[in-house]
Amino acid sequence: MEATNGSSAAAMPPQNGHREDPGGFKLKFCTVCASNQNRSMEGHLRLALANYPVISFGTGSLVRLPGPTITQPNVYKFNETSYDSIYRELDAKDPRLYRANGLLNMLGRNRNIKWGPERWQDWQIGMPRTKQQTDKGYEGMEAGVADVVITCEERCWDAVIDDLLNRGSPLNRAVHVINIDIKDNHEEASVGGRAIVDLADSLNKVAVEEREKTGASAFDSGSGREGFDERVPEVLGEWQERWPHLPATWTLAWF
Amino acid sequence: MAAPAQALSVAEQLVQLQAARKLALSTPAYYERIVKGVLPIIGPSAPIELRRWGAEFLAESLATPVLSIQEKESLTLAVLGTLQALLEGGDDDSIVLKASIAAAASSYPVIVRWIVNNSYHTESWEQMTAIKSRILRIWDNAPPPVKLSCIKFAQRVVLAQTASNGQEARAPGLDVSLDKIPASITFLDPRRMEAEATGLLDRMLGVLQDNSSDALLVDATLNCLSILIRTRPSTSNRIINCILNFNPLKLANSPMTPKIKVLVKSMEKTTRMLLIHILKRDPSYQPGGPNYQNSGRIQQYIQRLERSRIEIFDEAGRKRVLADQTAAQYGDAKRQKTEAPVAAPVTIPPLPPGPHTYAALYTVTSNPGLQSFDATQIPAPLASRVVVKALASIDQRVLDFTIAGIQNRLKTFQPLSATAAAVAAAAQPGAINAATAPLGVDEDDDDYEPNFNAAEDTEQILNKLDSAPPEVSPELGEGNAALGLGPFTLPPPPLIDPELATKLAQPASSRLFGPLSSLKEEGARKPRAGINRLAASSYDRESWLAVLARLSTRSTGGIQDVKAENAGSGPLALNEIIREMLFNYILEDWRRRIEVAVAWLSEEWYNDQLTKRSGSWGPLHYERCALRLVDGFINYITPQDKVLTRFLAEIPELNRDLLGRMKLLCGDPTTVNLTLTSMLYLVMMRPPAREIALDTVAEIWKEFEDARPLAAKYLVKWRPGFIESQTAGAAT
Repeated sequence: MEATNGSSAAAMPPQNGHREDPGGFKLKFCTVCASNQNRSMEGHLRLALANYPVISFGTGSLVRLPGPTITQPNVYKFNETSYDSIYRELDAKDPRLYRANGLLNMLGRNRNIKWGPERWQDWQIGMPRTKQQTDKGYEGMEAGVADVVITCEERCWDAVIDDLLNRGSPLNRAVHVINIDIKDNHEEASVGGRAIVDLADSLNKVAVEEREKTGASAFDSGSGREGFDERVPEVLGEWQERWPHLPATWTLAWF
Repeated sequence: MAAPAQALSVAEQLVQLQAARKLALSTPAYYERIVKGVLPIIGPSAPIELRRWGAEFLAESLATPVLSIQEKESLTLAVLGTLQALLEGGDDDSIVLKASIAAAASSYPVIVRWIVNNSYHTESWEQMTAIKSRILRIWDNAPPPVKLSCIKFAQRVVLAQTASNGQEARAPGLDVSLDKIPASITFLDPRRMEAEATGLLDRMLGVLQDNSSDALLVDATLNCLSILIRTRPSTSNRIINCILNFNPLKLANSPMTPKIKVLVKSMEKTTRMLLIHILKRDPSYQPGGPNYQNSGRIQQYIQRLERSRIEIFDEAGRKRVLADQTAAQYGDAKRQKTEAPVAAPVTIPPLPPGPHTYAALYTVTSNPGLQSFDATQIPAPLASRVVVKALASIDQRVLDFTIAGIQNRLKTFQPLSATAAAVAAAAQPGAINAATAPLGVDEDDDDYEPNFNAAEDTEQILNKLDSAPPEVSPELGEGNAALGLGPFTLPPPPLIDPELATKLAQPASSRLFGPLSSLKEEGARKPRAGINRLAASSYDRESWLAVLARLSTRSTGGIQDVKAENAGSGPLALNEIIREMLFNYILEDWRRRIEVAVAWLSEEWYNDQLTKRSGSWGPLHYERCALRLVDGFINYITPQDKVLTRFLAEIPELNRDLLGRMKLLCGDPTTVNLTLTSMLYLVMMRPPAREIALDTVAEIWKEFEDARPLAAKYLVKWRPGFIESQTAGAAT
């Protein structure tokens, strides 16, 4: 099997390309990784460019970026540090190193997407996000909830689920939580970003189909009457065939 | 808000409604006005787009965390009518139903709370009840997305109608529970409400009990159970039992299509996550909690699930193993635990080239006064005290930093040999590829894997250390032999003279008795292995006592026999000390420890036999110890102490002296019966001792008037003619 990720995703939009907004119904997405820097932000940007409402978070206790050695990471607090300030700090510390390992490039991208890294566990789900209007992917995220959460690492998925179980689902709102295992480097994040958009497109297509069906009774057990929620596993299974090297996990949880 | 509906197209209306919604989101104070304003537009007769928008807007508004539960009351009261109409108005669009039921789920606790405080207003409660029965009616036949909402609605009803333990998070509505409902409101009968909740919970759990393969419903159910388990104690056992009987991997038997794979993985992982979450977050499953005894079962279930999953997704399993091996081999850089570097409070300047003293090598201070201080002037005991205190209080990071600094100095000293240079070159990372360099730095995993077995981690580390090559630092091995440490041996211990030994024996032997208080009595349940059993093989109190008894009898057997005879007045030897302590131990609670006494005396007797057989004229202990024991407890014997009979029957040898002691008991009329019964037992069951036992009875008959009737009875039977001969003798 020489299947490569995205081999059959021929209909992909041009890389990093901004595409025309077809309007209509949009699922709301949320991307999550450990530090809300690389993988979730890559996904955030790609989804925003594809005109999806999107927000992003990290599940770690602190934002951690590589430092001069493995034991000296650069550590920042979530919600209190902006991408811009991290950029400026690293640029002042060792511009050569941080340019060579791609950090400055990444931070430069991130500071154009939103203000700073946010921590999942501190997110007040359902709080209106009225102050983030300049964020990429803001349009549609006003109510501060998502239909689909995409995590980029198994333990982030675990942290998200554990946190949701802990919150006790006060909003009574179903949410699909999907993990896609993406290695934490720039190259894999880029591949993963494409895969995330592919998944989002597939899911949204199904959701739009559900919306377009009007008139028929929900209680008819005829074919083709399946709603969005029940088709998610099927869509994910098909997606997994296209992206065999990005193992995925799914569950239906509650906000 | 309610624009003239006829004049505008649906699309235009939606744009307006969207604008109103954004206004409410940005200014929560408007919520109530906007919600009430849109109600007429989104009713059951409105176009489907408006009904969908309306239902979703109601669900969003009733759930928003911006408003407190008080603020939601009037909002909820206002929308109940519309919700009821949407649910009952023959509307069967699944999006409308799904959102309306979600809105009803958010309404339920608000209305329960409200009606408790305003019990006169039964109308809204009736509305809510009507909505509830409608939802519960459509639940079974609803399409899956609607079913999801029905499950969640049922969960909120259960949450509101069972008693809370007050552990819920501070989210509006979650804390409404059965204990907030007073018994005074007739239509809110707490017992009926709880019964309804129990029924609904069973209905929810049905999906697990049926071992359903519908992952959507299974996940939705599992993912809303956590708060019930944690905060509603009456539901927790029922739910946990149900989960432990659920097999999320059942579907794995069918052919593995991509979709089936997603479903199986999902149900397995969701089940496991919930259980891990409960073990980690629910205090009642922690040690000391009321459900702690269940946590072992849960752990087992989790492990079993994990194993089966690895078997099913074999390829994935293998991949993981490989990754783990690599990690073990090279150390997992990504998962390393490190702390943020602190600004080092000390700097360690490298030494300039040239010869140096060891003092200079290890001096890290830059203060010239301190540098010239000769530490060897401090007396060693004082120095060691200072060092211990300092080591105890020093910051680990500072210490590490300093050690690293000294190591660096040492390194600069060594003429870098060719191999060392190669090693250093290999350790240097190659040029970084910006695209593939890992970005994930260490994570502290605080929210990640529950640390169930820290012990295993330690063990793993130790294993790793064991298999690691011995740490011979190259610079010590080569070049600078003076710095290497020579072999080190402890000085031999001083010789112990007998007097000191016996002095030390006292505390040593008292420590032997230490474990007795903590060792468990294994009880009589244990089947006896009979004569072939090995003594002291079961690590219980009995075994330990066997060890003690043998220590006292045989530890010095054959060694000090003669010597001890001579040193009669000297300090007690080790085995005598143990004997003494054993004696005291038995007498402390002799009724219950008579078994110990028998065991001990048996050992003594056996040892005496060995001594006799060896022909050495060593002292014999059995008789002395037995007499001493009897003397010890005989004064405390009461008529109920049947243990006396047992003791006399079980000890290995009886003699006249011992039985003579029994005669004393007959001085007390209450214990006559016991004494004579014991004698009778010996006569009947212990033929070798029959004669001396009968002699004793005869003596009793002679000496104690009170005992005569009973003694006579036995004597008539067992020694016919004795009494006659006595009375005849007396008559003559």
